[in-house]
Amino acid sequence: MGMAEAIVALAAALAIGIASIFPAYSQGKVGAAAMESIARQPEAAGDIRTAMILAMALLEALTIYGLLIAFMIIGKI
Amino acid sequence: MSHGGALFEIGPIQVTSVMTTSLAITVILSLIAILGTRNLKVKNPGRGQKALEYIVGGLRDFFAQILGKKRATAFLPVLGTLFLFILFSNYSGLLPGAGKIPGFQPPTGHLGTTVGLAIITFLTVQIGGFKYNGIHYPAHFVKPVFFMLPLLLLEEVIHPLSLSLRLYGNIYGEETVLEKISELIPLLAPIIIMGLSLLFGFIQALVFTMLSSIYIEEATAEEE
Repeated sequence: MGMAEAIVALAAALAIGIASIFPAYSQGKVGAAAMESIARQPEAAGDIRTAMILAMALLEALTIYGLLIAFMIIGKI
Repeated sequence: MSHGGALFEIGPIQVTSVMTTSLAITVILSLIAILGTRNLKVKNPGRGQKALEYIVGGLRDFFAQILGKKRATAFLPVLGTLFLFILFSNYSGLLPGAGKIPGFQPPTGHLGTTVGLAIITFLTVQIGGFKYNGIHYPAHFVKPVFFMLPLLLLEEVIHPLSLSLRLYGNIYGEETVLEKISELIPLLAPIIIMGLSLLFGFIQALVFTMLSSIYIEEATAEEE
């Protein structure tokens, strides 16, 4: 593998790597906050779970964009 | 994974594996709906009727949390169909031979299908907005202040775009991971990923319809 291809491979790894760091951190915060709320108010667990899944889906989309870009870059090798 | 590639052609249209699979899912869902709703009874409903009532009632109650009972009933046909179609096509990727047999490929792992589904959502939101708020619907694009107009117009396009990319990326990524793991460790390890896929397939179908219902809720909200 030449130098150019190695750099392209590294770019793909960075695209998905960096794109997963911060959404993962934020998803952790969302999960923690939701669990805390459920512990405080177990009767509202259903509503909290719905809101949590929604917030997580919005965060996950960011990682998915990174994943798609990584696939596109890998296709170029 | 052999994406694209026409199986055969009808005139100018190239028929791909994704098309045949989504057609098969449509036929299966329609058959369940048609055969299950024959001989409906009020007293002593049969097993099939009870199961279908459970599914439809559960979906309606779920959307009623977001849309309210009246609008949930009005939009249940389109939202429920979207949910069932996405769920079936996500799960079709877990059947043996998916993506390997020609003519059998999970439709939601292909960008064309998800964009199509997102366009349905987009049209539902716009038509619903005009139906519920009439001529005042476009006024909400300039609601708080006038210079919000370009942002709000852009948002209407970004919503379906992110919906389709999210679903496509999830299912396509899952397929790829499953394939790579099966190549690496063919025994037992894919079962764990498949178990996770069962969960994620359901959650993705749920998220797609939940976000759609939230967009519908925003567009059809009563003006004060």
